[in-house]
Amino acid sequence: MSLLKVRGVTKRFGGLTAVDDVSFDVFEGTIKALIGPNGAGKTTLFNTLTGFDGPDEGSVLFDGAELVGRSPRDTVRAGVARTFQNTQLFDELPAGENVMVGSQAHQRRGFSAAMLRLPSVMAEDRDAREEAGRLLRLIGIEEWVDTPAGDLPAGIRRLVEIARALATRPRLLLLDEPAAGLNATESRELVQTLYRVRESGITVVVVEHHMGLVMEVSDEIVVLDRGRKIAEGPPRMIQKDPAVIAAYLGEAEDEGG
Amino acid sequence: MNLRTARALVPLVLVAVVAALPLVVSDRFLLKVFTFAGINALVVIGLALLFGHAGQVSLGHAAFVGLGAYTCAVCTVRLEWPWLLAFAAAGAVAAFGGLVLALPSLRLKGHYLAMATLGFGELMTLTFREADPVTGGVDGLGGIPFPDLGPFAVDGAATLYWLVWGVAGLALLAVYNVTSQRPGRAMRALHGSEQGAQACGVDIVGVKVRTFVVSALLAGLAGALYASVVGFVSPSVFTLAASVTFLAMAVLGGTGSLAGPLAAAVLLTLLQYIDALIPGIPRETAQTIQTYQEDIYGLAIVLVVIFAPGGLARLWRRRPRGGETA
Amino acid sequence: MDELLQFLIAGLKNGSIYALVALGFTIVFAATGAINFAQGEFFMLGGMLGVFFSELGLPLALAALAAIAVTAAVGAVFELLAVRPISGGDPLRIIMVTIGGAVVLRQLALHLFGPDERALAPFTEGASLKLLGAAVERQTVWIWALTALAVVALAFLYRRTTFGRAMRATSIQRDAARLVGVNTGAMVTWSFALAAALGAVGGLAVAPLTQTAFSVGAGMGVKGFAAAILGGLGNPVAAVGGGLILGLMESLTAGYVDPLYKDAVAVIVLLVVLFVRPQGLFGGSGRVKV
Repeated sequence: MSLLKVRGVTKRFGGLTAVDDVSFDVFEGTIKALIGPNGAGKTTLFNTLTGFDGPDEGSVLFDGAELVGRSPRDTVRAGVARTFQNTQLFDELPAGENVMVGSQAHQRRGFSAAMLRLPSVMAEDRDAREEAGRLLRLIGIEEWVDTPAGDLPAGIRRLVEIARALATRPRLLLLDEPAAGLNATESRELVQTLYRVRESGITVVVVEHHMGLVMEVSDEIVVLDRGRKIAEGPPRMIQKDPAVIAAYLGEAEDEGG
Repeated sequence: MNLRTARALVPLVLVAVVAALPLVVSDRFLLKVFTFAGINALVVIGLALLFGHAGQVSLGHAAFVGLGAYTCAVCTVRLEWPWLLAFAAAGAVAAFGGLVLALPSLRLKGHYLAMATLGFGELMTLTFREADPVTGGVDGLGGIPFPDLGPFAVDGAATLYWLVWGVAGLALLAVYNVTSQRPGRAMRALHGSEQGAQACGVDIVGVKVRTFVVSALLAGLAGALYASVVGFVSPSVFTLAASVTFLAMAVLGGTGSLAGPLAAAVLLTLLQYIDALIPGIPRETAQTIQTYQEDIYGLAIVLVVIFAPGGLARLWRRRPRGGETA
Repeated sequence: MDELLQFLIAGLKNGSIYALVALGFTIVFAATGAINFAQGEFFMLGGMLGVFFSELGLPLALAALAAIAVTAAVGAVFELLAVRPISGGDPLRIIMVTIGGAVVLRQLALHLFGPDERALAPFTEGASLKLLGAAVERQTVWIWALTALAVVALAFLYRRTTFGRAMRATSIQRDAARLVGVNTGAMVTWSFALAAALGAVGGLAVAPLTQTAFSVGAGMGVKGFAAAILGGLGNPVAAVGGGLILGLMESLTAGYVDPLYKDAVAVIVLLVVLFVRPQGLFGGSGRVKV
């Protein structure tokens, strides 16, 4: 069943068309990778899907409901969570509390209740703390739970952000370059984490440059180049697609490679 | 007794000390100094919430104090309302001011928001000074009655002290409950990364509005108490200099903490009246300290921001953190 | 009609001073992305130091130059001591440091020069000049001349000198500038020195007309910032425009509405601009990443 239907999404910045009429489906319970040379519009596309910077044209249906026009907060509450290319953690808070903030997506508001220290709020907080611990254990980084996020190594920061996104209880998880800055061991941990996430029923879309990871983990791949979709299909097929190879070779040429 | 028990007992001991103070100190002027410390503490608790937790700068906080003070003054002196009603009105008007200022905070960040709060503060100072018919203009408004809590008369130095610190204590408890739980975490998340907070479903608008309103409310109540303790309000009290002083207390106390700013508020207030506190102090020293008071505020801000961003709070909290090597 | 002309002249006179202070804000903002809350104090130091050197016996011109030079030095030292150590950190910290620094500078002036108001002699003695039927004080002409000179000099600095290009590069893209070999740290220090010098010129030029004292910094800071943001932060031409427009608005309000509201104009303009159009009159398009 198609959980995410992206139809004709276009985004322009002044004279530049960053995303040009992109359409694809993401099926529930799968891992879909979004790849393409630098500047292909991948992060811009993510921003349109998650309410951070809506598209100029097109529609995005998540489980039948339109996402375009919703705020980031509404998008998260609908069940679509994301991470950022530049990890956006709360540096002053310990890793565990960073993840706890993610739980706020599905908790009720409780300012007055908190002020009065009502049991309901305290119970919710306890649950959030346990869930945060569980998620950090799932990803294999529970030893960092009390470390202030600002003191974490770069690779661990990315993983904490994933845990935080999971705390929002998403049905769809959008990861923006999760493998950037990870060493070989951490990358393998990430692959295992992605499998575990998929097993728990969450659908994943991941933007990545790390080809090895993409080939290993994805069920399907969408390739963007200069804002346009140029290929879509299973990894085997994409590997051999001439348009894809040309796009990447072109990038290598531009870089004088 | 191990360290943890000792640390947990500290707040209880402090509460006992604060409550028992008037029984030990009989000098009325000294008691008044401690009362002022309580009023400043109330303002700074609200400012610590806004600035220290949510990371929203307020360079015009004295304006909220002034709004509360003048509202209380006008309601009791000109409208002859009962004191409790005037007290509530003071809080409401100041809270409304906070709501008004929360609006630009939704769009503006950092320096721009700081400037908006500065502008608001200056506008209020001008209004207090020029709206003669209501505020009494440059000469201010006098004859504000003592607080009247129905059966209890609050007209002695001790009872005023207890009222002020009672309100401050309740405020501290309420704000502590907020900051130590989910809303506080949401505020600190907002401060850390607005985008990250949005991605977690935090209600950014709600957090900002609530923080401004609560912080302004507390300042307004403090203003009403000030007016009732002193009996007189004038525009020269609620100025940019006063706002900077409150900010200095919050900065010195440390971001992310409540106890720190509270302690800083009390200490800096006591510093102002040091010759009353330490009778044996030589005239020159006392005068020097008073002359250089503002220097101390300015330097304190600069030095703390550069060298000790955690303020007093971090010095007290020498807690070992997980993940660090010993 | 004569009356209107008189108001216009007064407006352009004050406006020129605001323009100089606003330029100071803009230059520092362009180089660091931060607002220097101590800018008003540089204005104050210009006037106070001018009086100080003048009372030491220096001829006015030398006293003025000395005042500008010393204030510029203070600006540089301020950056090195207070701003540099925390650059790159939480923007909140830079705000706090410049606020605290402003208080320190003000208190320093109080301790060194005392609390009294001081006057500076007009740059040239003589009766007011006649311009189209209105009276223009000689000092006003000096203010216009000095402001124009400062603007021209600044334009020349930015467009025609390597130093100026380096400063522009630093403000546009600091990392790229560093890669090309620009000493961005020094550029930031020079920005503060330049901003301080401009503020000082304003303080000196207006001191003969309105008395100066250790406490004038905060008020001028608010007005200068209102001018800067009215024009649009980050753009020197906009800063000058904003200054002149603010001066005219004040003057016309005082003339035709009520002199009582003159001081409120700047604050109201500040709030309105921040609420309604934060990028200012001449700033870029709609969404400002403030």
